[in-house]
Amino acid sequence: MYKCKKVMAVVLTAGLASAFLMGCSQETTKTTTQPDGTVTIDFWAAPNPPQQKYWQQMADEFAKENPKVKVNVSPMPESPSSEAGIQAALAGGSAPTISENISRGFAAQLSDSKALVPLDTLSDWGEIIKNRQMNNTISSWKFADNHQYVLPIYSNAMLFAWRIDMLKQLGYNEPPKTYGDVMALGKKLKDKYPDKYVWANPDLTDPTWWKRWFDFFMLYDAASNGNKFIEGNKLTADDTSGVKTLTFLQDLGKNNLLLTNQSTDPFEKGTSVWTTIGPWTFSTWKEKYPELKFNESYVLSPPPVPDGMSTENVKTFSDTKGLVIYAQAAPEKQKAAMQFIKWVYSKPEHDQKWLEITNLPPARDDMNTNDSFKSYLSQHPELQPFAASIPNGVPPVDNAKFNDLQTTIGKQAVNPVVTGKSDPAAAWNAMKKELQGALK
Amino acid sequence: MVGNRKRWHNPVLYTLASITLLIMIYPYLHMVMHSLAVWDQVDRNFFPTKFTLRSYQWLLLGAEDVQPRPWLRAFLNSMFVTISSTLLMMLTAVLAGYALSKFVFKGKKAVNNVILFQMFFPSIILLIPSFLIVKQLGLYDTYWGMILPKSVSLWAIFMYTNFFKVIPNDLIEAAKLDGASEFHILFRIVLPMSRSITTIVFLFLFMERWVELLWDMLIVKGQQHLTLNVLLAQMFGPYGAYPGPMYAASVILTVPIILLFLACSKYFKEGIQFALK
Amino acid sequence: MSRREHRVLGWLFTSPYLLYSLVFFLIPLCWAMYLAFSDWNLISPVYNMVGLGNFKKALENPGVRSAFWVTYKFMAFFVPIVVTGSLLVSLLVNSLPRYKSLFLVGYFLPYLASGVATSLVVKGVLSYNSPLNEWLRGSWNLTIDWLGSPVSALLIVAVIIAWKFIGYYSLILTSGLESIPTEVYEAAAIDGVTGWSRFWRITLPMLYPALFTVLILSAGVTFGIFTEVYILTKGGPDNATNTWQMEIFTQAFSKLDAGYGSAIAILASVVTFASIYVIRKLMEKWGDRYGWE
Repeated sequence: MYKCKKVMAVVLTAGLASAFLMGCSQETTKTTTQPDGTVTIDFWAAPNPPQQKYWQQMADEFAKENPKVKVNVSPMPESPSSEAGIQAALAGGSAPTISENISRGFAAQLSDSKALVPLDTLSDWGEIIKNRQMNNTISSWKFADNHQYVLPIYSNAMLFAWRIDMLKQLGYNEPPKTYGDVMALGKKLKDKYPDKYVWANPDLTDPTWWKRWFDFFMLYDAASNGNKFIEGNKLTADDTSGVKTLTFLQDLGKNNLLLTNQSTDPFEKGTSVWTTIGPWTFSTWKEKYPELKFNESYVLSPPPVPDGMSTENVKTFSDTKGLVIYAQAAPEKQKAAMQFIKWVYSKPEHDQKWLEITNLPPARDDMNTNDSFKSYLSQHPELQPFAASIPNGVPPVDNAKFNDLQTTIGKQAVNPVVTGKSDPAAAWNAMKKELQGALK
Repeated sequence: MVGNRKRWHNPVLYTLASITLLIMIYPYLHMVMHSLAVWDQVDRNFFPTKFTLRSYQWLLLGAEDVQPRPWLRAFLNSMFVTISSTLLMMLTAVLAGYALSKFVFKGKKAVNNVILFQMFFPSIILLIPSFLIVKQLGLYDTYWGMILPKSVSLWAIFMYTNFFKVIPNDLIEAAKLDGASEFHILFRIVLPMSRSITTIVFLFLFMERWVELLWDMLIVKGQQHLTLNVLLAQMFGPYGAYPGPMYAASVILTVPIILLFLACSKYFKEGIQFALK
Repeated sequence: MSRREHRVLGWLFTSPYLLYSLVFFLIPLCWAMYLAFSDWNLISPVYNMVGLGNFKKALENPGVRSAFWVTYKFMAFFVPIVVTGSLLVSLLVNSLPRYKSLFLVGYFLPYLASGVATSLVVKGVLSYNSPLNEWLRGSWNLTIDWLGSPVSALLIVAVIIAWKFIGYYSLILTSGLESIPTEVYEAAAIDGVTGWSRFWRITLPMLYPALFTVLILSAGVTFGIFTEVYILTKGGPDNATNTWQMEIFTQAFSKLDAGYGSAIAILASVVTFASIYVIRKLMEKWGDRYGWE
């Protein structure tokens, strides 16, 4: 009996004490301008830990030179995706000042709802573009209303990783390049290891829109040699390559080369030999799987292509994200945000640091020519294939309805084909029909 | 069931009961074991053999490329939100329960009916507009936004109303003759008599609020007001999961409430008898 | 105390509750009705009224249809599991000569678990290369796609939630069992009623009030599933675990279609209310047979 009272007393004290602590540390960010003229801006970094680390360092350095502007860096909430987190914050009327991790499609959706500041209307925009050497890059980012809403930060061509150590056991010295090669490899793999799979990816049965970036679009962009899936409000997808892509996925499934069960790190643990990969994976590997070594245990390659297609300069999906400033932020915050961005991108060293911390290629015109990037890449051979693939990257669908559209690709095409519920041609047509309906 | 029990029954029954107990608490044991396991055994061995504090360290201090997330703060936030919300629910319930059981006033029946109606009304319809109300009140991403919408429990009102009905009116009348005010009577005489029911109500409300995810997830955006459940649910993004720290975080989320419950289990047993009637 | 005092204090003491109901019940209720006829996306400054459009869209949406059926399928799994489970547990506890409450407290512990934590644990335990599945594959040559096949995914969610509630419900049933007077059993023993027939003909009817509570409570739980599904399956595979809450959350806060989400919420409420009502009536019919009012 006394125990209960004691514990309750402790709990209540803890609650009140925490209330007191919270009360003291709160409310510093709510007011825009402090009496001494200090402006605090909120910066939402991508959920990827290295990106948080980078922006935190930038904010700290910036603070030393600019005591009047305080940059508060925090990871964006993922509930259940970072896009949904931002939308909910906008709906709640408390968006941050800046956030990164914005794709073009999402920016289009947000600008339709008047949630973003047209960056080109803020002073310093031209100077930022010039300082960062991104005149070419930025031109393709113009929106339908002739404004610029996003400053692209990185552009990363996605690749596939192969377990070369296991491939060698099967008699391969390099990864397969065509669908036929992959199927042949799969047969050898199954003969030797009936329990292993070519690709372990539960996402293939998940209709969540962004999952399509890392399976369907990688393969489709390669198979169609960079065809734009949707252009403006028109479906411009290429039927032949689309059906070939789906057929490949179905063949993998049919031959039991695909594992769609939920699994923990199947590639790293050797359950499968193939996986989608972005450069952010390397820092996780360093921590969790230090035994995985480039060229010894794994190699990187562009997506496989349909038989008979050229295997040179294979196109792939390019994960391209940038930063935006939100219209909900007060004008003085917007101004301070521009000041911060301008400072960050005034020096190429900052982009080099970005590359070092995040491994993601900065979206600059001089990415492959600038010596400081070159020397960093030469020390990190595992990043070279990513850098080399930048010219082959195909940006994501930039329609404002990207969520519904890409969900449809999953629901109508990828998911049923992989599980064998529908055949590729029929699935492709069903998908097209629904997409055309949604695009009207 | 008395009378036909044979001696050999007992060991069998106790074994069965103990096995059931083990099954019921196994998930907790699993959580604790794997939160302490070395990383290449987490989720790979049924029973880890080597132990380390690395998962906790990773969680609280971060790693080379990983900024630590504010777990301590989230813990305090959860504590604060849960306690404030629970205490408010108790206060509103005690007041309403006392009024509905001891006062005679016009409209009482109507209030009773409204309570009954709300109890059976599917609250799912209120999710979206409640979010908008909180926003309109300027409470989005604040503690109050999490606390106020959960400051009334119809179940608690119901429990207190029924319990207070049993307390004899003579007692209250006697106190009144001594010049005690209604507030004094309620908080100094009636409430102390309701200790067992209060414990039960407190524990149940506390438990329910402690595990809330959906509402807190909608209201919290920044780092400042994150609760443990929300932070834990957010920890798993597309950029790679860390099972060890996930188990460690689950332990942090679960242990306090178990301790609280076990400490109060004696009161719990007394109170539950009434609560279940 | 005068009548006036009664009246003033009565309203004063209930006012916090009434104020709350106004702000967080009545106003939201009206607002939801209004929203359901609009196409507002929560962000945009402009929106249109679309009449019954949202309801029409909802009725055609596979997500909504699945939510409707998933709820009953879930109920078909969950209610039998949790009721039999807690009944067995309470019969077991009730037959223990001593340490009854010790065990009851132990069985209650799962009720304290946060759905987020348990779901994450289950996710780890059921992943393809977890020790459990490796063992099943190694010893039994069995590979089960636990969360990937519609039936087992729903079953797993049902089991997790049943695990959480069994301890709580067995408390209710145990107190019901304890309230059955021993004379009834003694009289039955004289008539030669023992074993199974005693259970069916005496224990179960006498336990009816407690069972009624448990059944209504567990049916109620069915309509409010969110956390476990959100963490484990996000409503998949192929909408097999897409509950009402999950569907509303997705539409309103993930796709930001608040008007549409409100329309679904209204449909969900109607369905929930009607279902619970029917279940109550059925239970009462059953009670009539045993002579309970």
